[in-house]
Amino acid sequence: MSTESSTPYRKEGPNAIVELRRVSKVFARDKEEVRVLDNLDLDIAEGAFEALMGPSGSGKSTLLNLIAGLDRPSSGTARVAGHDLGSMSDGQLAKFRSSTIGFIFQAYNLMPVLTALENVELPLLLTKLNGAERKKRSQTALRIVGLEERMGHYPRQLSGGQEQRVAIARAIVNDPQIIVADEPTGDLDRKSADEILTLMEKLNKEFKKTILMVTHDPQAAERATLTRKLDKGALR
Amino acid sequence: MTLLGVAAKNVLRNKFRTGLTIFGAAIAILAFVLLRTVLTAWNVQIDHAAKDRIGTRHKVTFIMSLPKRYIDTVRGVDGVKEATWASWFGGKDPNDPQNFFASLAVEPETFLKVYDEISVTPDVKERWKTTKQGAVVGDVLARRMGLEVGDKFTMQSAIYPGDYAFEIVGIYTATAKSVDRSQFLFQWDFLNDSLPEKRRDQIGWIVSRIDEPTRSADISAAIDKIFDEKDVQTVTMSERAMNLSFMAMLSAILTALEVVSGIILGIMMMILGNTIAMSVRERTNEYGVLRAVGFLPKHVAMFILGEGLTIGVLAAILGLAISYPVVEKGMGRWLEENMGGMFPYFQIEVQTAALAAFLSILLAVVASLVPAYRASKLPVTQALRRVG
Repeated sequence: MSTESSTPYRKEGPNAIVELRRVSKVFARDKEEVRVLDNLDLDIAEGAFEALMGPSGSGKSTLLNLIAGLDRPSSGTARVAGHDLGSMSDGQLAKFRSSTIGFIFQAYNLMPVLTALENVELPLLLTKLNGAERKKRSQTALRIVGLEERMGHYPRQLSGGQEQRVAIARAIVNDPQIIVADEPTGDLDRKSADEILTLMEKLNKEFKKTILMVTHDPQAAERATLTRKLDKGALR
Repeated sequence: MTLLGVAAKNVLRNKFRTGLTIFGAAIAILAFVLLRTVLTAWNVQIDHAAKDRIGTRHKVTFIMSLPKRYIDTVRGVDGVKEATWASWFGGKDPNDPQNFFASLAVEPETFLKVYDEISVTPDVKERWKTTKQGAVVGDVLARRMGLEVGDKFTMQSAIYPGDYAFEIVGIYTATAKSVDRSQFLFQWDFLNDSLPEKRRDQIGWIVSRIDEPTRSADISAAIDKIFDEKDVQTVTMSERAMNLSFMAMLSAILTALEVVSGIILGIMMMILGNTIAMSVRERTNEYGVLRAVGFLPKHVAMFILGEGLTIGVLAAILGLAISYPVVEKGMGRWLEENMGGMFPYFQIEVQTAALAAFLSILLAVVASLVPAYRASKLPVTQALRRVG
């Protein structure tokens, strides 16, 4: 993996990058209100690799969505990478996500009609980079995840582990500060899961990415530097 | 790679379904083009009517005849350059009575002057004038019935009972697309002389060529005024008005065709809307991912509208590619040969093709609007949760 100064992936020292204060999230289901997160306080240091565990319905994904700027808190403040997410418009949140957050999903969510390289390039279509620059960046991201030989392959031509690595390349191609991963190994066998977790460790240690991973898998959680447990909307 | 390029690639995701949708829309375009061509072909005689020709008929109806002496009076009206007459013979081939074609008894010399878009060689013209039983037929009718110059041909008429033997002295072509090229034209004198004394010297209608088209109404009024005091009154109108009055009898059919072509477009939009909506629903999760990585609702809408646009363009191309051979080579040729009186020129107008292509694209985009709006308004977290 290249760590030369020309690489677009930055390396920075640890600092608090996620600060949640008395954050609550309430959903209206039918006529009832469901409090999914309840007065939650959370600090995540920059450069951390944290795992978030908890039973289904405990609020893990909701918390991840709030930190990633996909949703807003019902009350409290959420500051991520210096942005007060609660006061941002939809457009500002979209810009925040594209520049600051990298997403890894359980089901990879690659577009089947695009090659690995095109899938990785997709988030760059929102930037002002020209075609050649976009391609170069995408190739670099695929090289980091070890798939430079598979750039022209479509998702159907890749294994599950390889698809997830393409998804990781897509997550880092914009050089985000934070990577949020929702059950990144949930659809993979043990061997592939270990490879993905090793790759995530590499992104954390070598490229100083702050990683927040939701998982049900204790072995995956062990690879994180810190594991938090969420139950009924509160950290235990 | 561009946003529109991604949208275009998405169209080919489910090739079978997209292919069927495009084919279905293309068939709708074919039906639309066909109906519009029927309408334009039907109207071609109105649209291409000569501005300097007026027609005079019995005031009551086309079917009733005029005294032949009226032609001399009409020729004397100020502004009339030339006048001719015709009688509807209603002839049929006794060996093939179902084979319909127009048969008219005319006066060759003046008829060819008034209808100068009917083209015959000087030899044919001369032979026709000097051969009492001579007939000239349109090239389309001649081809259809296998008639050649020199052939003898016998016809029967329900209006003028008896057998009428003709000699084909020539075949005419047309220099204007409004001309029915499947007419059978013969000498009025031959018909007149074959009739009993009391039925002689009657003509169907008079057609005049005038010197100034802008005076058409005045000249028409002047002609009718002359015959107002006679026992047979007339009504005179421009050729266009005359054709229109004939078309008015078919207005219900024309309106029905308009309605059907509108229904076809509606069906086409529903086919497209249904496919695009299904396709969007299956991909809601992907749109959620796009929104998550920073794409805006307008980008999602653009993806979907781009797909609609691509389908519309492909359907237009395929639809027109099918339409031209089917309408012009297949159906058009058959209609021109077998129903030349109604459809003398059955070809797809450029405007019809352009309208069909435009509507195909427009309707595909319109059909995408609702799915595009819904997908773009879906909250990101909700879109990400939805699978299939």
